[in-house]
Amino acid sequence: MENYLVAMAVFAGLYGLMALGLNVIWGMTGMINLGLVGFMAVGAYTSALLTVRHATWPIWAGVLAATLVSGLAGAFVARITARLKGDYLAIVTLGFSEVVRIIASNEIRFTNGTDGISAIPGPFRGHVAPATFNLLYLGLVALALLVVFLLCQRLRHSPYGRVLRAIRDDDQVTAVAGKPVMRFKTEAFAIGAAITGFAGALYGHYNAYIAPEGFVPLITIYIVLALTAGGTGSNVGAVVGAALVVAFMEGTRFVVAEIPGLAAVQVAAVREFMIAALLILVLRYRPKGLFPEHHPRHPIPDTTP
Amino acid sequence: MPNRLTRRALAAGLALSPLLAPAVVRAQAEPIRLGTLTPLTGAGGPYGPAMRKALEGVVEAVNSAGGVAGRRIQLYGEDSQTNPDAAVRAARKLIDVDRVSAIMGTWASAVTTAVAPLCWESRTMLFTVSGADSITQLPHRGYIIRTQPNSTLQISKLAEFLGAQGAKRIFILAAQTPFALTNRQVLEREMPKYGGQLLDQVIYDKDKTVFRSEVDQALRARPDFIFLNGYTPDVTILLRELYRAGWTGGKVAPAYAINQRLLDSLPAEVTNGAFTWAPSPDLESPAFKRLQTLLGTQDPDPYSCQTNDHASLAALAIAKAGAWTGDAIRENVRKISQGDGERVTEVTEGLKLLAAGREINYAGASGACDFTDTGDILTCPFRYEQAEGAKLKTVRVS
Repeated sequence: MENYLVAMAVFAGLYGLMALGLNVIWGMTGMINLGLVGFMAVGAYTSALLTVRHATWPIWAGVLAATLVSGLAGAFVARITARLKGDYLAIVTLGFSEVVRIIASNEIRFTNGTDGISAIPGPFRGHVAPATFNLLYLGLVALALLVVFLLCQRLRHSPYGRVLRAIRDDDQVTAVAGKPVMRFKTEAFAIGAAITGFAGALYGHYNAYIAPEGFVPLITIYIVLALTAGGTGSNVGAVVGAALVVAFMEGTRFVVAEIPGLAAVQVAAVREFMIAALLILVLRYRPKGLFPEHHPRHPIPDTTP
Repeated sequence: MPNRLTRRALAAGLALSPLLAPAVVRAQAEPIRLGTLTPLTGAGGPYGPAMRKALEGVVEAVNSAGGVAGRRIQLYGEDSQTNPDAAVRAARKLIDVDRVSAIMGTWASAVTTAVAPLCWESRTMLFTVSGADSITQLPHRGYIIRTQPNSTLQISKLAEFLGAQGAKRIFILAAQTPFALTNRQVLEREMPKYGGQLLDQVIYDKDKTVFRSEVDQALRARPDFIFLNGYTPDVTILLRELYRAGWTGGKVAPAYAINQRLLDSLPAEVTNGAFTWAPSPDLESPAFKRLQTLLGTQDPDPYSCQTNDHASLAALAIAKAGAWTGDAIRENVRKISQGDGERVTEVTEGLKLLAAGREINYAGASGACDFTDTGDILTCPFRYEQAEGAKLKTVRVS
């Protein structure tokens, strides 16, 4: 049981990282990004290709490269979608993630196609017991989550974060105030994509196997749900929301197992229904999420002599 | 109060029951734990429920015959959702919470490959029906057993059949899958043996809704047989477009693609003449006949036949070992499935013989169940069918 809880905490941590990334793009800057899983895939593939398939870089170097490459991918997508907003941006980013998945399944020499990449190394995997590896990885993910969380908090409370929020609320006003909106949008998108790619790389090193089929829009939906349930715009909400989504997905397993007289396929359907119902309930009673965004107020320093 | 009396009686009954029950029942305190991870939702959804039922049938049969060495089998089931991410979490639960010694019935190749490292790291046996060649090439140290013939065997059998049909020029339209590339290579290698040749292959994305250009590319090569190597939704569209293009040559597809659902959804003249082939269950086997009764159908699909055998193999291996760890199953599964022992097609019969100290050789609904060292099946029968008037007619089984 402990091992299972540890593994689920790792998943919650990784989803939490991605939710933080999405929060920078969507929550803070207001750009809808339904292509999150594409950046996760870019990160996971970059690190996997560099540590096992095409080179034998150390894991930390692979993860670092993954973060940079997915950040660049984010900047690229932000530039080509510069004029798009709302639904149009959503559909193009969704398209981006599908493009990444289709490239991964068809560029067989480069990515090993739909067979996926297996035997991705994990720190000390094979040298310690599986349970110890699990715990170790949880520590690693928790540390990563803490660092990224603090960075995101810093971003949110800084003047930089204030500009992002201004762009979200009205980018024309922000432009009139003399802020280079395009540059801010690109940077925010790149930061969010880099965080997501970082999480994707960690995901690959944890599961030891990635395949294009693992990077379907379903994962994006998990993360969007996590952020919505936690509170869009709030970093605490992102992390808590991710934990909540994993808790719903996993907790329902044990609940449906107790319902007597259901066939296996009905159990599976009831479980999906319950997950959806729980999320609807959360949003019914907390429409802005569990931790709605509060506008940070910083006291103006007393300037009178 | 009557209510209170009833409760008290119930409590007394519960308290006394272990004392009154025979030794067999008391030994059931610690059951043998086995897991299933069939796809109940997602792309594998049409198959998973029957696969699960076929597994449960074996478990019930074993339990009602007194269990394995006096222990009941407790089956823990989760839904793979036909998605590697969801499947990994479900497998974690089966391994770490339910502490199962085997996971049976993984279907999609990506799911099996994602779950496999968890299994071998935790010394849990994995029984799968996935066909991708790469699966048994993983460093699994014997923890994977696959009852589905790998794609090399499947395509060799197809080449033999196409040769017998007089096919000379073959073109493949294939969905991008883990076996698209190996299938092509094997067919290219095998066809010349039967006087034919492979012209070319076009790979398409299976989620597309129009395949006009792919069909045009195929027809331009002037084939006499087109091999539609995809799944039901895309093969449905391809068949329709081939018909519209006036194609009258041969067409062949895996049986999981051209199934009754596809035949019902298209006019008969679109599907007439299409061949299908699939690893066949052993139609003459008593195990297959029992499965027909259990599932209430004349025609159990190959995956159900295989999961039926997964559970039987696991139970017999545990009985042979006298222990129910994943290691025990791994080391004993070949001792009860192949060799010179007495031929057995039913799990309870096998358990009886094992209890009497005899050697057995299990063969089940899916075939002989003989495995190579890497976990692949040695051989199995294949069934070739042809669509005629929206029904499939068996051409031959061999």
